[in-house]
Amino acid sequence: MSEKNWSIQGKPDTPTFTISDSEEEKRLQALIEEMWPRLRKKHLYPEIPIPKIRKVNENGEEGEEKANANEQRVGLEMKEKQMTINPTFLSSLKGKMSEESLIEALLDHGITHYTFCPWDFQTHLMLYAEAKKVMGDKESAKQAANYFIDVIADTHCVKKRATEIPELHRNLKKGAVEAVIASLYQKIWGIDLGVSLTKKGNDEIVRRLARIPYLDRTRWPESIRKFARSIKPLLILQQKEQESRGGKGDSNPQGEHDLNHYSYEEIDEGLRDYARKTMGLSEFKEVVEDFAAELKEVGYGIEGGMGRGRGASIDADILFYMKLAENYSIPVKKIPLEKSGVLHPHSHTPWEIGMPYQDIDLWTSFGKIMPGITQTWKKKEGKGRGKTEGTPDCLIIIDSSGSMINPRKSLSYAVLGAACATNAYLRNHAQVAVYNFSDAPMGGREILNYTENREEIYRALCKYFGGGTALDLDDIMPLIYQKKDLDLFIITDMKITNLETLIGFFGKIQNRVTAVHIGENPYASRFEKAVEKRKNITIFTVKKKEDIPHIVLGSIREYFNPIQKNQ
Amino acid sequence: MKDADSIKKTMPSSKPPSLTVFQNPFEEFESFQCQKQEIPLDRMVQTAEAVMDQIRLGYEKLLEEEAKELVWMVQYNTIIKAYEVAEKYVKEIDYSAEDIEDFCFALENTQKIPYLIPGPAGIYISALCNYAKEEEIALKLSELKTEINLIGFRLPKGKRLTVEGDTGDFTGIGLEGGEMIVEGNAKNWTGAGMRSGKILVKKNIGLHTGEWMMGGEIYVGGRIRGIGNIVEGKVYEREKLVYPGKARYPNLYY
Repeated sequence: MSEKNWSIQGKPDTPTFTISDSEEEKRLQALIEEMWPRLRKKHLYPEIPIPKIRKVNENGEEGEEKANANEQRVGLEMKEKQMTINPTFLSSLKGKMSEESLIEALLDHGITHYTFCPWDFQTHLMLYAEAKKVMGDKESAKQAANYFIDVIADTHCVKKRATEIPELHRNLKKGAVEAVIASLYQKIWGIDLGVSLTKKGNDEIVRRLARIPYLDRTRWPESIRKFARSIKPLLILQQKEQESRGGKGDSNPQGEHDLNHYSYEEIDEGLRDYARKTMGLSEFKEVVEDFAAELKEVGYGIEGGMGRGRGASIDADILFYMKLAENYSIPVKKIPLEKSGVLHPHSHTPWEIGMPYQDIDLWTSFGKIMPGITQTWKKKEGKGRGKTEGTPDCLIIIDSSGSMINPRKSLSYAVLGAACATNAYLRNHAQVAVYNFSDAPMGGREILNYTENREEIYRALCKYFGGGTALDLDDIMPLIYQKKDLDLFIITDMKITNLETLIGFFGKIQNRVTAVHIGENPYASRFEKAVEKRKNITIFTVKKKEDIPHIVLGSIREYFNPIQKNQ
Repeated sequence: MKDADSIKKTMPSSKPPSLTVFQNPFEEFESFQCQKQEIPLDRMVQTAEAVMDQIRLGYEKLLEEEAKELVWMVQYNTIIKAYEVAEKYVKEIDYSAEDIEDFCFALENTQKIPYLIPGPAGIYISALCNYAKEEEIALKLSELKTEINLIGFRLPKGKRLTVEGDTGDFTGIGLEGGEMIVEGNAKNWTGAGMRSGKILVKKNIGLHTGEWMMGGEIYVGGRIRGIGNIVEGKVYEREKLVYPGKARYPNLYY
């Protein structure tokens, strides 16, 4: 994230340097520690660690000159809720504002990002996505979103808290966009910040910006579009100027940003919420791809851990289904497994010295501990049927023929349903195998053996073949017969060429089968009729494809929980 | 001995501990007052909301009137009648050019405005533009999913209307001396029946362009799909005069 996004920054009018050694930092740290209880109270005790004092240079790897410029410009940095104040920035504003006021203004701004806007990663993504609809390109959209977030945070602070933020803005040197934003602040806060717009047209921009209800959270999506629409010409101009100066120079730091401010868990949650809210593959994909570099940086990569560790490029499609499926929870009814593996008392044997006491059967030993009289239990590994329950592994059979939706083009409820089932089994420490087929005898199939690797399973589910629909039982048999207890989950439109073979096969097996088919068709009716007497097979018919996740989820619950079904 | 003294000093007093009084941790909030300062933004937003409500109400009244006609046909009489009704409501509202743009976007928000009937909506927006205080009106409608029909109807002399984005059918019809600029494309019947003024369409334009226009000029930056039966006036395509000039059959695709 750019400093602009989460930090107050600006070019101080006169970059005067003071000695910034460890003593100075210690003094400032002590000052922050003294102020922090008051600030926390002012912001109603946010769960944020105490801010630190440290030099901030986001472009540390670049040249010394650039590094120095950044050092002066960046006032506050926020990484995973840890706010860091840059002492160089403080010293550069010496004489214009008291240190205490300056620190308070910076921290007010930083805390408000956490307590009001953007609040969480999902809101941040939403704001960015809305801005991109107007701006068109990624960089401008990020900039527009950053400015918007800052305006909201500062305005919220000015309205709701006693803050030094206006004083800070008065003392920051401003570029073209910052001048317009400062002028906007003058107008909407009613405080003179010493800004006067000279350029023709900027007044109109400010007038437009001043009509936006920044503090109304429910209207942020439309507000940011309006904001971006109004500020677009300025951002385009700024971008052109930057390009003419040799690309994306750090003289305009507003353009950079990363996701360092969020923890892994926040990003996980944010992506999940965003997927649920948009329910649109393309929208989600676009945002994830725009943030791909940052997401990779924080550990998102499909290879080697969709969530932890660096890896190859992010597969946005798989991430979408993964995050969307996390919003649903299917309870899996456990079944009694044949072998519990627990030792149970089986028969008596005379106790001898050296044998454990705890296995002695007091009732048959007449209360005595004496070799030859005392009896001890002999234990055996039993078949504790009905005692211990477990979740069997699951074979997911998914149809990816031409009549099914391509999950990589638009939201496939079949894949979503299968993904939810996958999550349910994995959550219960069971393994999942996938048989993804179209015209299997002609090679249109993907077989994934039993695994707990979620990414592999999702990748197999998301594979799309198109073309005809035919099952090859020879492919499935090995997967079924290698497991004694196994659930089957099939999602198809039932327009299977060799449906009779499938019906015959289902007629023989005793495993629990959940079959989901789309729409009414003679094949589905034929299948239903053929297996109607089989107690272990439950069929769900959906007339609209959109009904799949709900009906599957609800019915699975019903299926796995016979008591609820009877009620 | 010195150590013993120091230890003695640090030892707690031998007095029996007094009863601890438990304090409510939220007690301090009894006196805490969250600052709620009124800032000019509140007033500005409230004013904008109030104006939008009035504009919306006017549109709903217009719809009520127009709903009497089961089918809203784009005919001379229908348009004139609808415009007269729109004028009546618009005149009573004190609004700015930004309010017009907000209204255009509000039209797509079904929670706020239940119906978007392209004909009356365009007429109403035209009335809003014609009676706006500003002489220059810029509507940034690029992200609008709907192309507004009939926009710029009867735009009077001295008014300049710029639309960022595309417009629908009947753009700038009956123009009365105003200047209309469309940054994107315009559809069919653009400038039909215009009397005077200028229409500049930066991209392409549809069929029947300038049908029965009595005067004025139409400039098209892209291609004209078809020219209508023009009575009088000028039509330029990519800076080249196409009417009057080399006769071209109306609505001929080329």
